[in-house]
Amino acid sequence: MGELRTEEFIVNMGPHHPSTHGVCRLVLTMDGEKIVKIEPVIGYLHRAIEKICENRTYMQCIPLLDRFEYVTAMSCNYVFSLAAERLAQIEVPERAEYLRVIMLELNRIASHLLFYGVTAMDIGAYTPFLYGLRERELIIDLFEMTCGQRLTYNYIRIGGVSRDIPKEFIPKCREALKIISGKMSDYEGLLNENPIWLERTKGIAVLPKELAIAYGVSGPVLRASGVQYDIRKNDPYSIYDRFDFEIPVRYNGDCYDRYLLRLDEIRQSIKIITQALDGLPDGDIKSKKSKMTFKAPAGEVYARIENSRGEMGVYLMSDGGKTPLRVKTRGASYNHVQVLPHFGTDMLIADLVANFATLDVIMPEVDR
Amino acid sequence: MTKEELAAYIQEKYGEKLTPLESGRYDLLYEVSKDNLLDVAQSLKDDENLQFDFLCNLLGADTKEHFEVIYNIASIYKNLRLDLKVILPYDAAEIESVQKIWPAANWYEREMWEMYGIEVKNHNDLKLLLLPDDWDQGFPMRKDWDAPDFVRLPEVD
Amino acid sequence: MSFWPIAVLELYPVFSWLHDLLASIGLPSAWLQPLIYLLLGAMIFGILSLIALFLVWWERKIAAHIQQRFGPMRHGWHGWYQTIMDAVKLLQKEDIRVVTRDKVVFFWAPVICFVAAFLAYVVMPWGDGLIVADLNIGILYILAVTTFTVISLLMAGWGSNNKYALLGGMRSAAQVVSYEVPMVVSILTVIIFVGSLSMVDIVKSQSGLLFNWYIFRFPFGPIAFITYLIAATAEVNRTPFDIPEAEQELVSGYNVEYSGMKFAMFFLAEFVNMFTVSAIAATLFLGGWNGWEFIPSWIWFLFKTLLIVLLLMLFRWTYPRLRVDQLMEFAWKFLIPVTFANLIVAGIFKYLGWYW
Repeated sequence: MGELRTEEFIVNMGPHHPSTHGVCRLVLTMDGEKIVKIEPVIGYLHRAIEKICENRTYMQCIPLLDRFEYVTAMSCNYVFSLAAERLAQIEVPERAEYLRVIMLELNRIASHLLFYGVTAMDIGAYTPFLYGLRERELIIDLFEMTCGQRLTYNYIRIGGVSRDIPKEFIPKCREALKIISGKMSDYEGLLNENPIWLERTKGIAVLPKELAIAYGVSGPVLRASGVQYDIRKNDPYSIYDRFDFEIPVRYNGDCYDRYLLRLDEIRQSIKIITQALDGLPDGDIKSKKSKMTFKAPAGEVYARIENSRGEMGVYLMSDGGKTPLRVKTRGASYNHVQVLPHFGTDMLIADLVANFATLDVIMPEVDR
Repeated sequence: MTKEELAAYIQEKYGEKLTPLESGRYDLLYEVSKDNLLDVAQSLKDDENLQFDFLCNLLGADTKEHFEVIYNIASIYKNLRLDLKVILPYDAAEIESVQKIWPAANWYEREMWEMYGIEVKNHNDLKLLLLPDDWDQGFPMRKDWDAPDFVRLPEVD
Repeated sequence: MSFWPIAVLELYPVFSWLHDLLASIGLPSAWLQPLIYLLLGAMIFGILSLIALFLVWWERKIAAHIQQRFGPMRHGWHGWYQTIMDAVKLLQKEDIRVVTRDKVVFFWAPVICFVAAFLAYVVMPWGDGLIVADLNIGILYILAVTTFTVISLLMAGWGSNNKYALLGGMRSAAQVVSYEVPMVVSILTVIIFVGSLSMVDIVKSQSGLLFNWYIFRFPFGPIAFITYLIAATAEVNRTPFDIPEAEQELVSGYNVEYSGMKFAMFFLAEFVNMFTVSAIAATLFLGGWNGWEFIPSWIWFLFKTLLIVLLLMLFRWTYPRLRVDQLMEFAWKFLIPVTFANLIVAGIFKYLGWYW
């Protein structure tokens, strides 16, 4: 009997597929269940945000950029404000900086909780999804209390924040943090030691350190590969240098480490918020220059922050006019999708799903 | 290495190839000529004291006078940041790919190519990234591309 | 009265009355037996459909409460007739047929799946004497007909002409073939002690309370029960072994192209299958209808079966999904050796007479 003739075939994963987190299309060349080649096709969610920004005033850009990465819209607000502030050299009041840090870190926790739920769901455990969303709801309620919005906040503005927090915010926030840190053991108990979970994630889709750096991978994915690099520490912005927190780092670079690292980060964020709530000073929440008619002087600047997915950046060019000359947004997921074909092959389709989930890709950030 | 030290170091070592620009705020911004780009990029990456191995961002821009290509690079191990700028006149809009130095440039260069029409030489996979496959409406991010009511309708048989 | 298809005890008056009624309107006696069988078939079908609808609702409620939700709440008390409304909705849906389908295969796959799900109930002892036909090869018959399901899944995968569906069908074929072995061997362990394949004999051999049941025949009883339960979970494609329809990988596997009533047939068949494997487990290991006498035997049977169904549901809402190769490794490298070793131990015990 001769060799059995086999044939590679192409599977179109997406644009509408439950585990591509939006509208990413992966053209997979498969040999049976094994993936031989991945070709990501993006652009299904391209909304020309950068072009629209060129025709809007600086303040109008902020609600637009909410849509750039809507899971952590606070950091989109913030990174653009940071760029504009650096350009115009605006001093932000102390209280506003504290509020910003509180909001950014709450948003990071919300995003990681969503990650926890969605990843578990992608690996086939349905229940953690609801657990993650349940605690995320507490945070979303806090945001709603502050700025009236649940997803696209438009809260952090150039030179400050849009409004002060209500009186009941601080007790509610402390309570939410207490609940979340209490529930962390639930999350870990459900998955961390589960033999099936370990089988599915340990040693799967290892992203080597060198490859990660070469392809501009950042954030938790980079840190799970053993590189201790966090912009909050390495290139401090806002008032992050005043807080005492650690940058968790893990060394295997597999799905399991990426998952654990995000749970570690939730703890660190809780630590930061607690310190910020303790030290929250009174005072203005807006600088005098924070006006709807804000104009930046000519110049250019690259502002980058660490959001829950990695490095988020805005390159802002201005010629002194009413509108920016060029706004280039940089999302971490862009690089995470880009690196996928280089380490995601030679594994089963189920591993690809786990891999894609733990990269925590969000498509609006890729397509913009 | 602080920013001042970095500026001094670069002035000393790469002084003739990199010209500091006044327009840059916060981080250092240098202009580099198109021909020197690959050279400088490679030596910035290989330099023991700098190790610029991380490409944060790469963008094209249209300033209404000329094109600009800007590289935001960082060093993970030495914790440094630097911006490089290449100025391209409209009639000679082409640039070498830096893919070999920073593989991450791949998609950024594709995006720049489709949005601005800046030709990227020696790129291994130059095809449309964000735009639809049958795009024939020019280069949308150029300042002279103006279509306020632009709506792309689906084709109906 | 020897032609009675069931040794009617609890339902005796009903059937006796029915028999007399049919005879009194002048039906020739040759027709009576087929007619009674037909009625029984309809009865089983009706009961099982109701059970399947109940299980769908129950699963949704259990899932909801595990996940701190309420689940269906709108239709009736805690949404008790939600699934009936769902079935009505599915009946009204357009039956979308893919143009590139294989017409015959695509049509027959859900039908075979649906029919195969009900075949096992011919020999299922619902209670003391409540059995359609006490075949002397009962359990063998069940094992034979439940395997039909895999053919239908393969047909659905092939007939849809969709790569995801095909992968799903292939996965389910591989999975069912692998897990059939440990399942049969676990059952054999019990058969050794009964010495008969008849379902009624199996139940009768464990008459009495708790410690006469095979699950408590140490050491092999509990092992056989656990291996059976694992293999059965895999047989009915439920999490953690639900790779043929893995939503996040294959969208929904073999049934991705089905809609309307055809989809509902797959869906209901899945729940009937779950009930079947639980019923087999209850019969073989938990003493079937045996229990305190003052509770009717069919309640015992239902109670035990639903207990195992509950266990399967709890598995589903707690565990992540295995990967396809890990699933195969688990079957061939762990489950099969364990079940065979268990079978040998059971055989030695039987030979030496070390059992009670």
